[in-house]
Amino acid sequence: MVDQSNVSISAQSISVRRDRRTRNRPPYWMIAPAVFLLAVIVAAPFLVSIYTSFTSLNQYSIGNWLHAPFVGLRNYISAFTQGSAIGASALQSLWVSVAFSLLTTLCITPIGIVAALLVNTPFRGRSWVRALFLIPYVMPVFVNAITWRLLFMNGWGLVDKVLAWLHLASVNTFWLIGPNSFWAMVIADVWSSWPFIYLMVLAGLQGIPNDLYESAYMDGATQVRCFFSITLPSLRPILSLALLLSTLNHFNNFTLPFIMFGTPPSPQADVLPLNVYVTSFQTFNFGLGAAMSLITLVLMMIPAYFYIRMLRLGEATT
Amino acid sequence: MTHSMSLERRFWQRLRIVLLIVFGLAILLPITYVVLVSLTPDTEVGDGSIFPTHIAWDNYRLMWSTVHLAHDIGNSVLISGCTGVLATLVALLASYVLSRFRFRGRKPFMVSLITMQTIPQVMMLLPLFVILVIIQNALRVHLVGQYVTIIVTYLTFALPFACWLLLSYMANIPIELEEAAQMDGCTRWQVLTRIVLPLILPGMVVTFVFSFLLGWSDVLFASVLTTPSTQTVAVGLQSYIATGESGGSVFWGQLMAASLTSGIPVVVIFLFFQKFIIGGLANGAVKG
Repeated sequence: MVDQSNVSISAQSISVRRDRRTRNRPPYWMIAPAVFLLAVIVAAPFLVSIYTSFTSLNQYSIGNWLHAPFVGLRNYISAFTQGSAIGASALQSLWVSVAFSLLTTLCITPIGIVAALLVNTPFRGRSWVRALFLIPYVMPVFVNAITWRLLFMNGWGLVDKVLAWLHLASVNTFWLIGPNSFWAMVIADVWSSWPFIYLMVLAGLQGIPNDLYESAYMDGATQVRCFFSITLPSLRPILSLALLLSTLNHFNNFTLPFIMFGTPPSPQADVLPLNVYVTSFQTFNFGLGAAMSLITLVLMMIPAYFYIRMLRLGEATT
Repeated sequence: MTHSMSLERRFWQRLRIVLLIVFGLAILLPITYVVLVSLTPDTEVGDGSIFPTHIAWDNYRLMWSTVHLAHDIGNSVLISGCTGVLATLVALLASYVLSRFRFRGRKPFMVSLITMQTIPQVMMLLPLFVILVIIQNALRVHLVGQYVTIIVTYLTFALPFACWLLLSYMANIPIELEEAAQMDGCTRWQVLTRIVLPLILPGMVVTFVFSFLLGWSDVLFASVLTTPSTQTVAVGLQSYIATGESGGSVFWGQLMAASLTSGIPVVVIFLFFQKFIIGGLANGAVKG
């Protein structure tokens, strides 16, 4: 996906290759370890998860799990109505998660594109700037989350102090609890994840032939015109992949809210993964947790479907 | 015409400089603040003074004894290292077969590899935990808190990712070399070890590094499946915050010093492999 030209070259030889591939019987033993491992640690747990979601399994009944009461769809119903004993209902969490993942993706896209354009043409010290741009992204998420927890501390955190100094907000804005926690989460996440779009766009920019810009320049096109008529359309494939992956990753982001807010978080920041976690491992309601994660999974299949289609499996790339 | 062009160019150059400064500040300000706090005495952090009265190098000394930082970092290295090695080796064999042969079940397997990367990790953790507890109760063995358990469970996300990453490297190795080797009488295994392995080595290093970092950054699995003796540094740092939530005072200075200590090596590794990152990223989701 990185190098579009590379893909088209290998596409020419693909028909030849396909014939060669079929000639031999594959050494199945080589792929067996991967298949076995994934069957044991992914497929089997997945089935257990489905079973669990129809029972009222908890920390007491797990000792005798085969006799855990079968409750039918009750977990699914309560997932939408009450959720965990502490914190938001799954339905509420769902909206928080959807809003969070879409909003952050929406924010980081222009930031990432601008950053990539900034360093695409050579200048002195460019390699340093490129390294700098990577730092928020390559820093482990738990470190970023602790950093932002510090920055958003009430009363003495840097954010509150600067806002109070500028007379924009009270020094007691309470970023980590209450309605502001959603925005604190969005800001922290935008800060640490925009380089993802930046990296993808940077990879995409390498594939745009330079003579397109040269001829546009000859015709007297402005930079803005060039951007909207050449750059953006050329970036479309990689950008749509980036947006999709970004939405998926943000939806599944557990670490950032978990460390920034602790458990249980304010309902406004109670994203779905965090809610499932609290339900499963702090109130030990395994049945409800399983039902909530299966609902999440079904929702994830919508973007995942488009992701798989975009990768065009079995065609040129692989 | 030329005059207006140069004016326009100058405008863009100015804008670029302004934007570079804005980006630089936005990235560096929080980091600088963290570094400052890591050097501030714990008594002063809560007072809200941005610049400490004196530089407290003590934070970098005390953090090793307040929490078991060295022990936790050791655990992180061990667990992430084993995860990286296992994922890379298993994925090497799998991706070789997937890229060189067409067989029934190939496409479903590849689709499921991608699907696994989109599955929320918390959704895997719950049934894994239930299974582990059931086995524990049935066989009277300890599984939760063992290194082996956490390494194997890390493979749920490291392995699909490693397979996918290595597949993209495999696709770029010319098949002609292998055919020539087979003509000369090499077995499948010899082809893999003598022809493919030297060529795929850079890809394997990148795969190892990414898998290692996936393990290093994980908080979710480690917070449920480790005990104090096997906990990783990502979980270990939580104990600083936990004291604050239970009413005590958080040693912010030490926490920031410890965070930097556990984060900077990762940043250095990443920057070292910087030019590979772009390729790796575009081939799959790096951060879960």
